[in-house]
Amino acid sequence: MANKKVKVVVLALLPVLALGWLALRAFENSAAYYYTISEAQAQEVQDQKLRLKGQLVKDSVSYNSTIPLLEFALADEDSQVEAAYEGVLPDNFHHAEEVIVEGKFNAQGKFVVSKLMLQCPSKYEGEE
Amino acid sequence: MHYLGLISLYLSCAFTLLALYAGTRPEAARHKLARRASSLSVAAVVISTLALVAAFVTSDFRLAYVARNSARSLSLIYKVSGLWAGQSGSLLLWLFIMSLFTIAVQKSRGLREVGLDVPVNVVINSVRLLFMLLLVFVISPFEVLQNPPYNGSGLNPMLQSLGMVVHPPLLFLGFSGFAVPFAVTVAQLWAGGRFDAWLELSRPWALFAWLFLTAGIVTGGQWAYNELGWGGYWAWDPVENASLFPWLTGTALVLTLQLSKGYPGRKVWSYILIVLSFALTIFATFLTRGGVLDSVHAFSGGPLGPIFMAVLAAILIFASALAYWRRGAFRGDGHGQVGFHGLLGWGVQGGVVLLLLLLAGVLFGTMFPLLSRAVVGREIVLDESFFNQVTVPLFLVLFALMALSPVLAKGGRGLRPLLRAAGIPVLLGALTGLYVYVAAGGGLAVSAAFAIAALGLAAHLGSLVWPGEKGFKLGSTAVHVGVLLMLVGVAGSSVFTDEIFISVEPGEVFHFGEYQVGYTGLTTRYGVDRYTVSTTLSLARNGTSVGELASAKTFWENRTQPSTKVGVFSTIKEDLYLNLAGWEGQAAQLHLERFALVSWIWFGAWLAYFGAALSLFRLASVGKLHKQVKARWQRTS
Repeated sequence: MANKKVKVVVLALLPVLALGWLALRAFENSAAYYYTISEAQAQEVQDQKLRLKGQLVKDSVSYNSTIPLLEFALADEDSQVEAAYEGVLPDNFHHAEEVIVEGKFNAQGKFVVSKLMLQCPSKYEGEE
Repeated sequence: MHYLGLISLYLSCAFTLLALYAGTRPEAARHKLARRASSLSVAAVVISTLALVAAFVTSDFRLAYVARNSARSLSLIYKVSGLWAGQSGSLLLWLFIMSLFTIAVQKSRGLREVGLDVPVNVVINSVRLLFMLLLVFVISPFEVLQNPPYNGSGLNPMLQSLGMVVHPPLLFLGFSGFAVPFAVTVAQLWAGGRFDAWLELSRPWALFAWLFLTAGIVTGGQWAYNELGWGGYWAWDPVENASLFPWLTGTALVLTLQLSKGYPGRKVWSYILIVLSFALTIFATFLTRGGVLDSVHAFSGGPLGPIFMAVLAAILIFASALAYWRRGAFRGDGHGQVGFHGLLGWGVQGGVVLLLLLLAGVLFGTMFPLLSRAVVGREIVLDESFFNQVTVPLFLVLFALMALSPVLAKGGRGLRPLLRAAGIPVLLGALTGLYVYVAAGGGLAVSAAFAIAALGLAAHLGSLVWPGEKGFKLGSTAVHVGVLLMLVGVAGSSVFTDEIFISVEPGEVFHFGEYQVGYTGLTTRYGVDRYTVSTTLSLARNGTSVGELASAKTFWENRTQPSTKVGVFSTIKEDLYLNLAGWEGQAAQLHLERFALVSWIWFGAWLAYFGAALSLFRLASVGKLHKQVKARWQRTS
């Protein structure tokens, strides 16, 4: 009887351990830390994947469609950060107010964006 | 018109309350009243929904919801689909679909013969009542504007596509479909007794919900691929994951319900999966509407989040309490259902474990920002690579089990027949995997995926050609083969890709893959409230023309953002994917991508729908089920 119980526990534990191992292994390169812009500015965290959320500074946007390279600035109450995104200008970019960017700071203190997410104020209440 | 809609909603509340009252009376005489009241409340919901549709079709911008999500210039189909372009309309559509289930339950012979239709509808009506109250008191789609605008602000251009016309209704059909197995189970456990027909009676409903949820998820991905322009169909975004949760448990449920008697815990697991599938549809709504997680879908927050969280908690507590109260009903292994048994049964149970591990992994990853905020005080987001690394190995083992299922079914006793049945498929799989690994440089996971797909296709086709006595039914075979084709498409399109970003002058011809691509220039068209800049590329292979590829950018008068229509040229081997990124004069900047085997995903999905629909028809049309259930009911009560 006790033997059977041990067997059941081991059998139940095995998949859980497998999942834990997978998750732990996957965690390393995929975690992005949420920072406010002032925090990110103050700490100058390099080589760490970050996620920043800020207001798009409207007159900071420049887009070179031949490379294509999109440059803009994000701001919160008391700081501002320059960001660059190598990719096609998203349709709703100029319309966005709040922008979430994921990426890393380069040596010049510019935020190199690997993933760009936009939140639009009103129009896109919509569906998935 | 909108008064009609609003009054109907109030009426449906009243009728539903009456149906709940009459349905919970012990006297059977009241059941007639309960059925009538249910039907009337459904009629009221239908009228209310039609009233909102009518407001959309006639461009009645006195309604705030219509003004926000429609415009005069829209074509009829997008006027109608404006119904589910926002939150309150989606909720009304959900209520509408749930109401159709109320009627289906009343018409179900199986449920009616054992006297369960009224109790089942008591449960469904409780859920419907919640939606009605939300629609009346929290987010009404019939809110009236004091100064109605002449024109509405229009439907988001991204939502003006066929994908967005069909995706939400399919998803809601799937979501609300899982309410029925839950209702059947709860109603029967509540009634008590040793009778456990809920296992069989839930089956067609669970399969129905699975079919539509699958279709809803796939069409969502297809829409993203064809409309959003980033060339993907799945991004592990919280909103996408939310629809995956009930799909994972729903798949596990459909499988578990087909186990033969004799598997330990069959009843308990069925119950857990039924409750989880339903609860996770509510949780999905909480996640997508609650504004608790950042999503590229950028849903607005609003009051629905906390309400759905409370409902979720109530469901889980209620279901646990009910299971504890009726714990006697879970003893034994149920009646003599003939289904998966032997090796196949154990394989299926392994699959269920994997599906639950997938659920745990995806749930953990999705909720991690909230977890980390609670534990270390900083939000940490896990990106796609986390989800891929966790889920790919689990999915591969799951699909390997699925690929082997015909072999397991034939296995019988002893190793020898098993090996004989597995021999050729395993050999084919190994050769395919080796080829992809060595010759195509696919990497380990992708080679494994191709190997599993080849193995599975061989095994399933073999079982179709030489069915023997333990061959699979056509429906299950089609679902499995469809999923394997999707596996090929997903594996191929995630690795074998290529892209160029190029500036071209009119008249220029360039090479991409095996295609000669010709650019002739841009054309501009003006519409009432928009102008569109478009280009059409000519495609040729070995000097012969094979087709065209068009992409366009539209600028709208009343919107600051343009909308880009990507061009897709699809063959069985690969998709060419064009995004008109920008231009200066007649020189255009083009973003061209190649994704291998994408069309296999959509074709595989169609095959899976076909298979599931076939199984569903068989299940629903077999009168035997009703007779068996009824006979047993008479014996046990």
